[in-house]
Amino acid sequence: MSRCQAVARPLARQLRQQCSIRPFTSGAARAAEVQQQQQTSSSSSQQPSPLDLDPNSVLPEFEAPLIKAGKMPVGSRRRRVALRTTASIPFEQLPYQAFQEARAILAADRQEKVAKIREQLDKIAALEAKDAAQVKGGEKMKETKLASLRRSVEELKILADINDPLVKKRFEDGLGDMNKPIYRHYAERKWRSYDYRLIAQRIKQFNIVPDVLPKLDPLADVQLFFRQQKIAPGAVVNSLVSENPPRLRVQVFDAGSRLVSLVVLDADVPDAENDAFSKRCHFLAANIPLSPNDTSLPLSRIKADDQLAVPWLPPTSQKGAPYHRLGIFLLQQKPGVELDVAALKQLYAARDGFSLKSFRDKFQLTPVGFNMFRSVWDENTAAVMARHGIPGADVEFRPARVHSLKPPVKPKGWEAKRQGPAYRHLWKYTKRIKGLSNARGWTKRR
Amino acid sequence: MSTSTSRPFSTTPSLLARKLPTPSSSSAKPARRNRAAPKSENFNRIRTLRRNMFSPAPPPLRMARQRYLRHWTIHRAWMLFRRKQHEAIEKERSRMHAGMFNACEELRKTVGPGSRGEGYLYRVAMEKKGIYGLEGVPIEYARFQTDTPAKEAWNHDWKR
Repeated sequence: MSRCQAVARPLARQLRQQCSIRPFTSGAARAAEVQQQQQTSSSSSQQPSPLDLDPNSVLPEFEAPLIKAGKMPVGSRRRRVALRTTASIPFEQLPYQAFQEARAILAADRQEKVAKIREQLDKIAALEAKDAAQVKGGEKMKETKLASLRRSVEELKILADINDPLVKKRFEDGLGDMNKPIYRHYAERKWRSYDYRLIAQRIKQFNIVPDVLPKLDPLADVQLFFRQQKIAPGAVVNSLVSENPPRLRVQVFDAGSRLVSLVVLDADVPDAENDAFSKRCHFLAANIPLSPNDTSLPLSRIKADDQLAVPWLPPTSQKGAPYHRLGIFLLQQKPGVELDVAALKQLYAARDGFSLKSFRDKFQLTPVGFNMFRSVWDENTAAVMARHGIPGADVEFRPARVHSLKPPVKPKGWEAKRQGPAYRHLWKYTKRIKGLSNARGWTKRR
Repeated sequence: MSTSTSRPFSTTPSLLARKLPTPSSSSAKPARRNRAAPKSENFNRIRTLRRNMFSPAPPPLRMARQRYLRHWTIHRAWMLFRRKQHEAIEKERSRMHAGMFNACEELRKTVGPGSRGEGYLYRVAMEKKGIYGLEGVPIEYARFQTDTPAKEAWNHDWKR
């Protein structure tokens, strides 16, 4: 028996006998076991098992052919022998004492939480059955109490599962079921830790508030994909890439299905006559069902008559104009209220001058999601505009020169006073005035 | 003595006759060393602080997936355990405090014993004499305790 087998034997034995009661070691049993071990090792020395072809679990006697084949054995021999027998143990049954004690504590806590949930549910049922007149404070107080009880149940549901390592693992692997509150909780925490802050920063630095909406605090994660490629919030997108409508990945963090409206809005359309900027609607759809579980929302698939109001218009810019901010706004409709898309079509068929604030107020919507990208004039814009019949490709904006209102200032200082021929002997010191001249002569254009 | 090797050319008899310090005189040094540097009472604390303050932070824990998950589980269980312990201690202490408060309130309301008025027992119970030492009088008793400073902070005209 090799050294590593001798070392790994107690571990392997313990794992094999997990369920049976482990007897005290006696000499005879020990000897029998050694024999058994020798048998197994001698039998395995004849033909390599599939485990011996894996560099993670190869036995010492089969190392040589594996190394010859170019696969170096991984880890120590002790580890490899241990891996041969422990690969099939599920994570929660791994025989680590502290881990198992910890699991026992967490399981007891979970039982407590579940009992509390039951208690709260009973309370809710009792309160619902009670007549509002009998509750102190009447109907209003009853509603308040019910709401607070339901909120506490939701919190307890999260707290019951938050210490489960398998839940954490499943979430990290992206296998979490978003219909369950714990996974939504994890997802929201992750979103708030970075992506939400990024979006909030874009809203601030691009002045979405107050240029487009007076107030905007996103509650849902909206990611933007053009051609299967994720676009960072606020990135400048080539006009050829943004010619086709994007795909959104929308993750909402509260339970249930709801209807949303989707608006893509260009907030920087140059208006040369008025020397100002106006807004233009690039896409408008309503009555889009959304739930925590279905996250993909391709704009090209929204075609239904009761959903699509204004089809996709490729965002374009004009030469010399500053970048256009293209905001993607997700507005939640009131529960159970469907918008009349025919009316929307009539209202917003002329895309120009679209006001998101008035749209929000008119249909009682709440903005829940936001993302944005930018568009500038580039080498493909003219072709895109020609393809879609958008006028203005031949226009070039130039910045108007703004002259200073201050009167010209005469040069000041010791050097300026000694420029004249009376100071010819000082010219070698006086011909270097900032903004006027340097060693090679006059630089100021007159 | 011919042990003086540092000045081989010196022929002065007085120099040659000079004695080197004997080993018996040098043996006094370790004794002095032992006497030196009296340790302060905080010596151990200061040594620990010195060690920990200026040493670099320990490296972050590097663990593989499953190991990290086990570590996380144990950490969560430990935090839960600590919280429950704290809550239990807190509860017990507030229970004891409430008990004392109720007892004092009861004392404050009682009349007597004998011809004593209401709250006599409470006042006696609130005495602090002797709790800072056998004959000690707490510093609070040096001056009558008030909620606000006196209107006249110091009487300058006072004469004995």
